[in-house]
Amino acid sequence: MAYLELAALKKVYGKDIEAVKSFNLKVDKEEFIVFLGPSGCGKSTIMRMIAGLESVTEGNILLEGESIIDYQPKDRGISMIFQSYAVWPHMTVYDNVAYALKLRKISKEQIDKTVKEVAKISDIYQYLNRYPNNLSGGQRQRVAVARAIAIKPKLFLMDEPLSNLDAKLRVSMRTDLKRIHQELKTTSIFVTHDQSEALSLADRIVVMNHGYIEQIGTPNEIYHDSESMFVAKFIGSPPSNFLTVKVKEREDKIFVIHSDFELEVKNKYKKALKNKYINKEIILAVRPENFTINKKGILKVKCNIIEPQGSHVVINIFVGGEEIKVVSNILTLKTNEEIDLGFSEKIAFFDIETEKRIR
Amino acid sequence: MEKNKKGTVKSVFKSPYMFLVPALLFYTFFWLLPVSLSLIESFTSIDGGFSLENFKMMFDDPLFGEAFRNTLIFAVISLFLQFIFALMFALLINRNFKGSKWFLFIMLIPMAIPPSAVGILWNTGLVESGWINSLLSVTGLQNLIELLGIAEGPIIWKEASGLQAVFMIILIDTWTVLPSVMIILLAGLQNFNEEYSEAARIFGANRFQALKDIVIPIIKPTIITALLLRIISGLQVWLISVMIFGFNNVPFLLERIVFYTDQVRLGVYSYKLSVTYSVFVVAVVSITAYIFIKLTKGKDWSGTSE
Repeated sequence: MAYLELAALKKVYGKDIEAVKSFNLKVDKEEFIVFLGPSGCGKSTIMRMIAGLESVTEGNILLEGESIIDYQPKDRGISMIFQSYAVWPHMTVYDNVAYALKLRKISKEQIDKTVKEVAKISDIYQYLNRYPNNLSGGQRQRVAVARAIAIKPKLFLMDEPLSNLDAKLRVSMRTDLKRIHQELKTTSIFVTHDQSEALSLADRIVVMNHGYIEQIGTPNEIYHDSESMFVAKFIGSPPSNFLTVKVKEREDKIFVIHSDFELEVKNKYKKALKNKYINKEIILAVRPENFTINKKGILKVKCNIIEPQGSHVVINIFVGGEEIKVVSNILTLKTNEEIDLGFSEKIAFFDIETEKRIR
Repeated sequence: MEKNKKGTVKSVFKSPYMFLVPALLFYTFFWLLPVSLSLIESFTSIDGGFSLENFKMMFDDPLFGEAFRNTLIFAVISLFLQFIFALMFALLINRNFKGSKWFLFIMLIPMAIPPSAVGILWNTGLVESGWINSLLSVTGLQNLIELLGIAEGPIIWKEASGLQAVFMIILIDTWTVLPSVMIILLAGLQNFNEEYSEAARIFGANRFQALKDIVIPIIKPTIITALLLRIISGLQVWLISVMIFGFNNVPFLLERIVFYTDQVRLGVYSYKLSVTYSVFVVAVVSITAYIFIKLTKGKDWSGTSE
């Protein structure tokens, strides 16, 4: 039995605005799940339905096997971190953390002990007597974290908690969140539109688009084994390169033909291409780091623009009029230098109509 | 010459303080001057020397005690009623239900009616064959009133006196000013970040607790502003009383001022009396407002630095 189960969950606003279309997900205990998608894809709506802040149009939410959709938010055993932190400005940090415990009628000594304990975990111990307006954004976020873990929730929800922080703080805060999760092992759901946050935090990522699930998988599966063109494009910085190619069969060999190159397909995709796609156009997807440079390549190209990134360079190249981005660790490449470009084994094909992976 | 601009006429005109001159002139002539003159007037006898006889005359006014009491009762009770009802309506409209815009529009109508028209409106309602009594009889409530023995026959509202009359005026005033209080509270609520109360509900509060512990404390500055304005104008009530009950029947402090200014021709004595009443009202309003601010001042959490 799954710890948390979202079964055919649906949300319709007004008469026909479908924010979430039949969402199914099973979450194991102690898992860290990230909902990833562009704004308006329904990820926050699902989180708010789990929290009880939004009504469920259809479907069910089961926590430890029990349906919680008719419960008040306070009776669901969850805690939440908001994008705006939602740390109450008229209470001191101490009172912010203690408020939930006071409502649970816990003894004063126990409250004091818990508040100090979580304040240490979230590194806000020295600010307990301050008001939130006297704290920085990062410190306020830590207060929100302390408040959320103080009640020992069954489920920990985070709605884009890092998006209001500056870039540097965001990276250190996400490490802290991961450390706290490893310590407390609370089952967590995290909503974000930032793919690097998702990749670094998640046990499993749920990639969403227009209220649908595009793919559920570990960060590695999502990145290296994208199920759809949307995922291949949404994940990765720079994202996957797409080239339109035509499948041809010659003497029992399968080739994909582009105006500038021909590539023989030898790996596991050969059979799938042969069965359905002979003489048809498909999409060849290559991640920027999955090219080879000056190692028996298949086409000669000029480096158009070179963007140094310190540890590597990003090269802009035109292939048949289409711009692609290649990541290389050859730091000595120069603009307009001609290179011998090839493909590594890690390439993927997508159906041009359905935009789904060809396997 | 270029360097030594200080002190020249030109530099005075270029000073940013010039922007304050119109406001200063206004306050000097239309506020400071009349207030100081009234103050002096109230402490001088008819012969011109310093004296407290005007105040003695005011305290000896047979209606002074009742006017003072009525004013305080009116201010406190109407403040309380108007706050509770305005908050309820503001919360209701803030929930943005279907038709809430229309509800708001209808609620605001009393605000658009000038005070003297309000007086006329209720005056025609409160006479023996007025619309209130017809409404009671049409809806059958009149029978209920007679059955319960509250009154026999139509109620003669305008014969109400003493506190009964004050309560009637409170209800009419509440009807008139409720929208203005509500709209200030609504503005406060609409600036309120919903995530604050959502967080409260997730962390264990029911809707009422979220309102009491989170929403009201956070919009407290707005509430205090609204209530301060109300308590000040509550202490200055007079028009409804005069429009419905006439002078001398349900006295208020401000009603006394108008009465002695406009209605009696005792020459210099009535003038002195009305000026003294004015000074007294200013003192009552200032002291009440001061106490109100002191009582409602909580801990300061709005600072932005240490």
